[in-house]
Amino acid sequence: MTDLAAQLSVLQSIDASATVMLPDPKTATPKLVKMRSFGMGEGSTVFISVATGIAILSLWWLLAQTGWVPHLFLPTPSEVLLQAQSIWDDGYANATLWEHVSASLARILTAAAIAVLLGIPVGLLMGLNRWAKGVLDTPIEFYWPLPPLAYLPLMIIWLGIGEASKITLLTLAMFAPIVLSAQAGVRALPLERVNAALSLGATRWQLFGAVVLPSALPEILTGIRIALGVGWGTLVAAELIAANRGIGFMIMSASHFLATDAVFVGIGVIALCAFSFTLGMRLLEGWLVPWKGKN
Amino acid sequence: MLKVDNASVFFAARNGQTVQALDRVSLDIPNGGFVVALGTSGCGKSTLLNAMAGFLPLSSGSITLDGAPVSKPGAERGVVFQRDTLLPWKSVLDNVSLGLQFAGMPRKERDARAHELLRLVGLQDFAKSSPYELSGGMRQRVGLARALAPDPKILLMDEPFGALDSMTREQMQELLVSVWARTGKQVFFITHSIEEALFLGTQVIVMSPRPGRIVARFDVDFVRRFAAERDARAIKTLPAFAELREEIRAIVHQTEDQEAATI
Repeated sequence: MTDLAAQLSVLQSIDASATVMLPDPKTATPKLVKMRSFGMGEGSTVFISVATGIAILSLWWLLAQTGWVPHLFLPTPSEVLLQAQSIWDDGYANATLWEHVSASLARILTAAAIAVLLGIPVGLLMGLNRWAKGVLDTPIEFYWPLPPLAYLPLMIIWLGIGEASKITLLTLAMFAPIVLSAQAGVRALPLERVNAALSLGATRWQLFGAVVLPSALPEILTGIRIALGVGWGTLVAAELIAANRGIGFMIMSASHFLATDAVFVGIGVIALCAFSFTLGMRLLEGWLVPWKGKN
Repeated sequence: MLKVDNASVFFAARNGQTVQALDRVSLDIPNGGFVVALGTSGCGKSTLLNAMAGFLPLSSGSITLDGAPVSKPGAERGVVFQRDTLLPWKSVLDNVSLGLQFAGMPRKERDARAHELLRLVGLQDFAKSSPYELSGGMRQRVGLARALAPDPKILLMDEPFGALDSMTREQMQELLVSVWARTGKQVFFITHSIEEALFLGTQVIVMSPRPGRIVARFDVDFVRRFAAERDARAIKTLPAFAELREEIRAIVHQTEDQEAATI
């Protein structure tokens, strides 16, 4: 027998075994495969996140209950819940919980409305017009990196201790991210999209309404989300310094009496508010820009 | 008729030198004519189309459409781009009727016209879909219907099928021929596929780069034959088709070699 014949017979036997190894589609369920992934992969993280939350709560309870951390610094979860109940029923620092929350919400929502109504047109204009960009860039780039609390004293001197100074401060803090994102939205607009609209006969205003504004909308909504984050931080800090209503004020006055449990309640309320704002923005994005990331 | 007369375009390059993108190009697109510009990348065919569309001013020379000078983009010149430029927030129907909306046509009328155009490109069942739900070929068909909606005198098509797979591409070519035969529009079409150029054009112009100019012109009639007989395979396997394809290929290679020699 020649070498060639031997090789052939080996090949045939390999072939035969390969046929045998094929799974029978009727009896065996096939092993499902997918591309190996890099990084996080596709598995859900919900379970891990929930477990982590429970672990943190348990650790808190353990540290507070055993007295490893002095009670003055860390109340137990049940004490915080009791305090929440009592603030809900009787209020805190001469005002009901709703009065504190509504004072804060009124400030941030008023400021957000002003910042959105001014910031979007100003940002779009800066993205479209060289003169607007040149003129407005200087003041915005100057004040935007400043921490708002640095100029809060100035606001108080100019506008008094009332609502005007706080709302102006918040508006300034929220204005810049909205302007910058609207501007970025215009700049990211593909020239071909503009040319397509022009060759369909669009006038300048039609181009703006039908193409420029909707194209910039995803970026603008991202900007508003960032602005709201900045807004909450600034709001609470401003209320800590100068207010007699508001969640920040409630936390401040509780800390004067070392009422840590009330501080915890205040923080929880802020977290709840900020979280519902984020959720609201997500819903708004899903409704206004369902195409985001799909093009 | 669209008339390009001695059109030249100079750009400023980054290093401060001037680059000539078009060199005294003259070209007539008669009514009902289908002119295909063929050439390697950088030969100025897109520059020529951008000038025809009014996106780019000429350094010298002129472009007129039925005697009126072309100076800016306008609805009488419909453009189909290589990448689809559909608006993702509008339905397919509203994308097609966009030009009619700009013209101020009432909703009912423009919807009726857009439905008609979607039927023409075979997408009548996708009027309510979003552009991002469609395949690449379907999106280009929407782009074609959109460009046709304002009833332009000429269609300018910048490598519209360049990003499609070859089978979809052939379907799109056949669709385009039937749309052209039905509407009788003038068409200016850019491609770098010799076969596509021969199959579609009533005239094929071959361009060469640096500076972009026309080096050869061929009057062809395979497209008329296809419009009558509807057998693409029979036409693409004709000896005359193959001969012309090789002749043009030789010219294109020659321009490439010349360019390589100058570098």
